[in-house]
Amino acid sequence: MRKRDWRWLLRWESLLAVILAMVIVANIQISDHYLGVDNFVNLFHLSIEKIILALIMTLIIINAEIDLSIASLMGLSACLFAWLYNKGVPAQSAILIALAAGTLCGTFNGFWIAYARLPSLVVTLAGLIMFRGAARILLEDRSIGLFPQWFNDLGQPNFVGPLSFGIIVFIILFVVCLIVLHFTAFGRYVYIIGNNRHAARYAGIKVRQTKMILFTLSGLVSSLGGLLLAARLGTVRANVAEDFELDIITMVLLGGVSIFGGTGTMVGVGLSILVVLNLRNGMSLANYSGNIQTSVVGILLIASVLLPNLFRAVRRWSAFSFRSRDMMSKDEEESQETQQTDTVGSIAN
Amino acid sequence: MNRIRQIIRPEQIRELSLLLIILLIIIFFGSQIDSYYTSRTFQRISSAVMIIMVVAVGETLVVITRNIDLSVGSIVGVTAYVAGEQVSIHNDLPPLALVLLAVGIGTVLGLLNGILVTYGNIPSIVVTLGTMAIYRGVLVEYGRGENVLVRDLPDWLVDLPRVNLFSIGELDIRLLVGVAVVIVIIFQLVLSFLPYGRRLYAIGSNPDAARMAGLPARRIVLGAFVLSGALSGLGGFIYLARFGTISFNAAQGLHMQAIAAVVVGGINIFGGSGTMFGMLLGAILMGILEQSLIRMQINEFWKDAIFGLFILLAVATDALVMNRLRDIWARAAVQMREAAMSEE
Amino acid sequence: MNTRKVLSILILLALLVTPILATNAQDDGPVEAVPGQELNMILLPKDPGNPVFVEAHEGAMEAHEELENPGELIFTGPTPENAIPGQIEIITSGTTEGVDAIMISANAYEELVPATTAAMEADITIVTWDSPVMPEGEDLFIAQVDFSETGVVMADMALNLLGEEGGQFAILSATPDASNQNAWIEAMQEALEADEKYANLELVDIVYGNDVPEDSYNQALGLVDKYPDLGLIMAPTTVGIAAAAKALQDEELCGEVLLSGLGLPSEMQAFVEDGCVQEFALWSFHDLGYLTYYVTYLLATEQLTGEIGEQFVAGRMGEYTIEEDPNREGGKRVLMGPFSLYNADNFDEWAVTEEEE
Repeated sequence: MRKRDWRWLLRWESLLAVILAMVIVANIQISDHYLGVDNFVNLFHLSIEKIILALIMTLIIINAEIDLSIASLMGLSACLFAWLYNKGVPAQSAILIALAAGTLCGTFNGFWIAYARLPSLVVTLAGLIMFRGAARILLEDRSIGLFPQWFNDLGQPNFVGPLSFGIIVFIILFVVCLIVLHFTAFGRYVYIIGNNRHAARYAGIKVRQTKMILFTLSGLVSSLGGLLLAARLGTVRANVAEDFELDIITMVLLGGVSIFGGTGTMVGVGLSILVVLNLRNGMSLANYSGNIQTSVVGILLIASVLLPNLFRAVRRWSAFSFRSRDMMSKDEEESQETQQTDTVGSIAN
Repeated sequence: MNRIRQIIRPEQIRELSLLLIILLIIIFFGSQIDSYYTSRTFQRISSAVMIIMVVAVGETLVVITRNIDLSVGSIVGVTAYVAGEQVSIHNDLPPLALVLLAVGIGTVLGLLNGILVTYGNIPSIVVTLGTMAIYRGVLVEYGRGENVLVRDLPDWLVDLPRVNLFSIGELDIRLLVGVAVVIVIIFQLVLSFLPYGRRLYAIGSNPDAARMAGLPARRIVLGAFVLSGALSGLGGFIYLARFGTISFNAAQGLHMQAIAAVVVGGINIFGGSGTMFGMLLGAILMGILEQSLIRMQINEFWKDAIFGLFILLAVATDALVMNRLRDIWARAAVQMREAAMSEE
Repeated sequence: MNTRKVLSILILLALLVTPILATNAQDDGPVEAVPGQELNMILLPKDPGNPVFVEAHEGAMEAHEELENPGELIFTGPTPENAIPGQIEIITSGTTEGVDAIMISANAYEELVPATTAAMEADITIVTWDSPVMPEGEDLFIAQVDFSETGVVMADMALNLLGEEGGQFAILSATPDASNQNAWIEAMQEALEADEKYANLELVDIVYGNDVPEDSYNQALGLVDKYPDLGLIMAPTTVGIAAAAKALQDEELCGEVLLSGLGLPSEMQAFVEDGCVQEFALWSFHDLGYLTYYVTYLLATEQLTGEIGEQFVAGRMGEYTIEEDPNREGGKRVLMGPFSLYNADNFDEWAVTEEEE
């Protein structure tokens, strides 16, 4: 089973590469300015927080969990930073406090999920609402801005060469996640737990600690993303980073990561990030509204799960017609079907 | 004691405790706010809650089957807008036709959700996250940026929120609120007494067992999504009547409130248990909290934080307490059976 | 002798004529637009779904055709929950695309400035209308009315409706960052404090409906619930006033709680008939769009340099002058025109009959 997955994934990444090439070609047709350095930097820069969060989300989804509260946590840490700064706390301390608070929130999520064994869907859903609520309590209707210039500079391009600080953070984090996921024991544990939590526990893997670590990291990265967002926009409002979840989850799932956990690669997610960003960029240059862009991302999300299912169904059908039931035993078939209709439950477990 | 344990199930205990919490909260707010026990409070809460109630009925059906529907807000928005637009153009459209139009559109959208989940084998969270965005985008393109305006709507529609079903003294029961309550009652009866309801629970409790028992799982889940869409369509019609002006971000975020009502109302997110009555209590609790916080001049921004907290509490309680209660109940049932057998 | 006389007369004539010729050379009169030049322009409203901005678009299109501009006029805007970042993104894309001008009704006073400054550095003309940004972030602001005057108009409407005994009133605004609404509210607060006649008016709260009908509706109800003695809701936003009117109507509070503010006559018509809205004011968004387009066209083709004192003719709307903006230090503006006040008394003049729609 593992072998088939591995080969299938390779095919998925090739498909992504092809799609990416097509999007790039289309974009070149749409606009002459597409190929400029400025545009490329902008392309990344405008979505930099989302793609940073997609990296940690990959780990979480491979672990057969989900974190819906990331965007709200981004908003909360941005608001916390702004509120503290507005009260006179020096910016550096405010940053540290916001990061610490975010990490704590992640740990809070992690506790309920890892130790109380509550489904991550509902815990992070509650978190989504609570953290956004906390952000609203802090900032109410106001917006706070006028941050120190050095802070704002961190959020703008041309920080190091043409790149922004955020882009550098992304590159570093991408490399780190790549190494951790594919070359360390911890990464392997993440996969194994995602595949079968109980088997992992019987094999001696510390399931609860792993999940705790992942959600704590998620909190830390979310608050980092929130601060980057504050630096980029220059002002913070309570509804900042609203609805980022759609893009983030799409980037991860489109990258070949299964929502049930256990499969997916960093390379795939990297490619899908490029696809989504270039697609959005092309649509912006063609003056498609934000709403249309969001719907296209929605279509991508569904397609990213639908298409592999169709491939599998076609393959199963063609295998079935040539050889009777040899290729796949009936039990395997049925357990696959069960797995797929057992959606919320499996994410929960 | 065991006799009592046989008569009352853990789920009912949960609902009773919810009822108790509601009463306590009402008493608390009544002591803090002047003229709380008036018809105006009732109106405000019931009007605020009626749309959620209708939509949450559909959501309950879906969640019982161990799925989730995040696109209900977008469906309400689409149906409210399209129905509003059509009736603006054709002012003489009969009311029933308009309602059927809204419900019909919702049904189609729900059908699409259902097909993708059951035949496409895509997890419902992925499907409805995607269709939430897609339906919203289609709405924007369809509307081409123009709002539905009150001035274009026929009088009967604009006046509909004020129509009374009947009055008890000073208390007016509005027609739309009555409709919402009737819907909840109908579907509660479906769940309790019709075979369809039994099947929904079966699929949610254990999809494998249900399939092996020969239940047409796909069709049943599909039906749940279709009903959710249809009910969201009805919700869209009520939304149109209440707000009049429909922009293309109508009902954004409604899915959160629906899910909150469902989860707080004791419907297990794993599926397989929960009742409409529980959902009703959950919706009422949320509605009371929201409206009363506003009255108390408490920073309205606490509302969301408290909402989230309630959801967390509800789920934590369910996981920690309900499972233990069920164990105790099951053991008591076995004990009683053994006692009965040994007597023979 | 005769030659000298003739010469002197000629020199005298020359001396007389030259200044006249010189003055004529300098004083061309107000600039009139030369049509037919190709410019790609973006009209960026706060929210493209709001009917007032659709009207502004129609006005801009009228000017676009009158000026026979073969280029494109793109009408696009952000979604309300993405109001500020959405506008930033559109400005940045426009800069990358290399449009000639962007006409912005800004969702925020400061946050757009980095993007607009970058655009101006790329030789793009930035003209704001309806809602400005900081003076250094724009070339010019087209003000529909004088913003301080707006405050007085609102205060006067409140005084008029609440009467001598005054009472409590609240403001239902749009988004908390909108520069125009905030300027008007500030002006109103100043007017209330400055003049004795407003002494009995008490402003109890300012809430924000975000120009979203559902939110504005709920905020209006919230106001009524929070302040049982509330006499008037002042809503300086067409979305807010329409939603508040429906809310009052649904709760059968029309006439008990008075409603006023800025509203579109076509939207307010039914509510005035029902007695839910007593009085409201507005200007022509269609004309605002028309004027904005003209000025932008003149600036982008460099027929105007955007300096204070320049005069120009804006098509059918007549002559205008670029002047200093008294409400923003260092800002320049073109002031469009007066308010129109609407109420039940002059109803027949402005109410639209079925066929006209």
